[in-house]
Amino acid sequence: MESTSSAQGRLSVLAKHICPVPTDVQGLSLQGCSAGDSAAYERRNIADDDVVIVAALRTPLTKARRGGLKDTDAVDLLATVFKAVLDRTGVEPQAIGDIVIGSVLGPSSQRANECRIASFFAGIPETVPVRTVNRQCSSGLQAIADVAAAIRAGFYTIGLAGGVETMSLNPMAWEGGINPRVESFPGAQGCMMPMGVTSENVAAKFGIDRKSQDEFAVRSHRKAAAAKAAGKFKEEIVPVSTKVKDPKTGAETPVIISEDDGVRGSTTMESLGALKPAFKKNGTTTAGNSSQVTDGAAVALMMTRAEARRRGLPVLGVFRSFAAVGVDPSIMGVGPAVAIPEAVARAGLALDDIDVYEINEAFASQASYCIGKLGLDENKVNPNGGAIALGHPLGATGARCTATLLHELRRRGRGARFGVVSMCIGSGMGAAAVFEAGGEVDKFTTAHAVPGQVLLSKDAIV
Amino acid sequence: MGRCRTAFNAYSVKFSPFFEGRIAVATAQNFGIIGNGKQYVFEVTPHGAIIEVAQYDTLDGLYDCAWSEANENVLVASSGDGSIKVYDTALPPAANPVRSFKEHRHECCSVAWNTSKRDLFLSSSWDDTIKLWTLQAPASLRTFAGHTYCVYHVAWNPQQPEVFLSASGDTTVRVWDLRQPAPTLVLPAHGFEILTADWCKYNDCLLATGSVDKSIKLWDVRVPNRELLMMMGHSYAVRRVLFSPHSESLLLSCSYDMTVKLWDTASPQAAQGLPLRSWDHHTEFAVGIDFSTLREGLIASAGWDESAWVWDQRGFPSL
Repeated sequence: MESTSSAQGRLSVLAKHICPVPTDVQGLSLQGCSAGDSAAYERRNIADDDVVIVAALRTPLTKARRGGLKDTDAVDLLATVFKAVLDRTGVEPQAIGDIVIGSVLGPSSQRANECRIASFFAGIPETVPVRTVNRQCSSGLQAIADVAAAIRAGFYTIGLAGGVETMSLNPMAWEGGINPRVESFPGAQGCMMPMGVTSENVAAKFGIDRKSQDEFAVRSHRKAAAAKAAGKFKEEIVPVSTKVKDPKTGAETPVIISEDDGVRGSTTMESLGALKPAFKKNGTTTAGNSSQVTDGAAVALMMTRAEARRRGLPVLGVFRSFAAVGVDPSIMGVGPAVAIPEAVARAGLALDDIDVYEINEAFASQASYCIGKLGLDENKVNPNGGAIALGHPLGATGARCTATLLHELRRRGRGARFGVVSMCIGSGMGAAAVFEAGGEVDKFTTAHAVPGQVLLSKDAIV
Repeated sequence: MGRCRTAFNAYSVKFSPFFEGRIAVATAQNFGIIGNGKQYVFEVTPHGAIIEVAQYDTLDGLYDCAWSEANENVLVASSGDGSIKVYDTALPPAANPVRSFKEHRHECCSVAWNTSKRDLFLSSSWDDTIKLWTLQAPASLRTFAGHTYCVYHVAWNPQQPEVFLSASGDTTVRVWDLRQPAPTLVLPAHGFEILTADWCKYNDCLLATGSVDKSIKLWDVRVPNRELLMMMGHSYAVRRVLFSPHSESLLLSCSYDMTVKLWDTASPQAAQGLPLRSWDHHTEFAVGIDFSTLREGLIASAGWDESAWVWDQRGFPSL
């Protein structure tokens, strides 16, 4: 190397590393271009054994006992979404290693059996096992976490996780007596409290008045109505072909349900203000600022990133972390305020890194408490409305929120990278999971790749 | 596990062959363009505590460092003024550097210590030469000339103690033998400058090269006319490649695209440019990498963002 001023010399040597000049001048030499996705926003930690979600779909959410899915059983709800997720990804059913479905109110053994029956309806062979999971309102999210953990543990490569709830057919009930020693344990007593009473406890303890709860509810409906009108749920909803029974005549009409029916975009402070407190005399929690009782199901197809790559499936989202925490049962609504920081920390992130939150709106009291306690930007939370407008089918909610979240992250493209799904859990718990956006760009393209073409950036398809 | 912050831009990180968790980090001020240098020795505990064991200042930036294989406290650092400094951490700071070998006429950018003949180490320089040294002698034992441009990297063959390779900006990798006067192989591995090369630790005929053309190629020295594998995964020049001491096919690479990638050269994905892992924790050029020989899975990277990270290859760098 010729001697030049030392600093200039070093700069020029380094500069040639970045912008090389071909040293062999015996003619043009073609070099394969590996520029790839070199943009700063595209650099991310990827690993072949990341657990990724390649599809997340849900049924419409309809009001229990009155909505379009009131006469649809868990088998049909699940079979619909199972079939849809397999059709859209082209994954052959026998490749699934396990199916884990969150379900809360259905009788345990019967519901587990119904899930297995649903898998047969969907064309999944008998060789694929099925199980249920119940962590109350977080069951759908817990199912996703369980499948992620099993894939990580190497039990299988492809798993189907989701949740279902038919609140029309399975009311909340307590069978048998209550153990008398419950009286001696405050925590146990808290477990016996109706959910609405815990909402009143949160409202009273943290000073969340009726007005702010109603305002929260109005916003939820407004956001959901806007999202519905903009067609934002079209990608994640699978229409359900079912029947509706007339309660008076018993006549059954075949229908196709394809829309959420709980959303009331015209809700106002006045209309909500007229409702009476539902759980406590002179209380603040009403039917209008609580989550709706709803029927629905949702699933997510999960696999390792290596498997998704092998199958050529675009990655919708990456499972990053999960946390389940315990809180005082009498104020169970604070669950997300404890679970979210835990899950975010486990993902190696800070709250500021999260772009979208799906926090289940069990009650306006607890949801707004959690948002305030964590100091979250309200614009990041439930941008497409929440359970107050859309409904809360207990076992399905975790998976439903995940589907809504991942599709929202994809719509935002470069504008969003991480999202959180979280909910409070009856009997005093909270759960939260962190997801990362998949990063793939539009699936649809009229361009086709020319095999053997190595001269252009990986971004280009000629 | 954790992150060692350095005052200057980090150029190289090397695990001690004697102490698990002890790392040497060579750094240079102002990205090594102009200014001083600093040699650090850190102790990284499994719980993430980072203790600075030593810090030595130098007149010019330091581009590489290497631990002695014979003495647990000795390390050498190569400097931008062409000198090689020898440090002994067991001696007080005032007694350091113990020696300064000044022979190279331009920047000395790589040092490598022989793991079998433990008194020998090599240095390579932008003056187009490689020099062989021992701490017992006041001058270099031998100078290897032949390259026509900067020699960026030099590496001993782990199984043949007299054999080493050199990677140069003259687009060749040369394999040398201490017993021979001239290179035993001149390998025109790339069409552009070759910034790095390393031997496979389990197959003494296999080597990997990394180049300004962003690719990493795998070569068998017995069949030098065609590469065995080309891995195009980086979006800028590949600064360092390193084979794992624990696995025949695992390869670590770092690049000016600020990523550190772990490759399984035996997997079909590697040929498609898909690494096992890609870490983007550095916010500036990632220029140094090392595997720990004492603790399988522990790896380290050094970057111009004034940090050296230590983490497990199965996970991600975290604080």
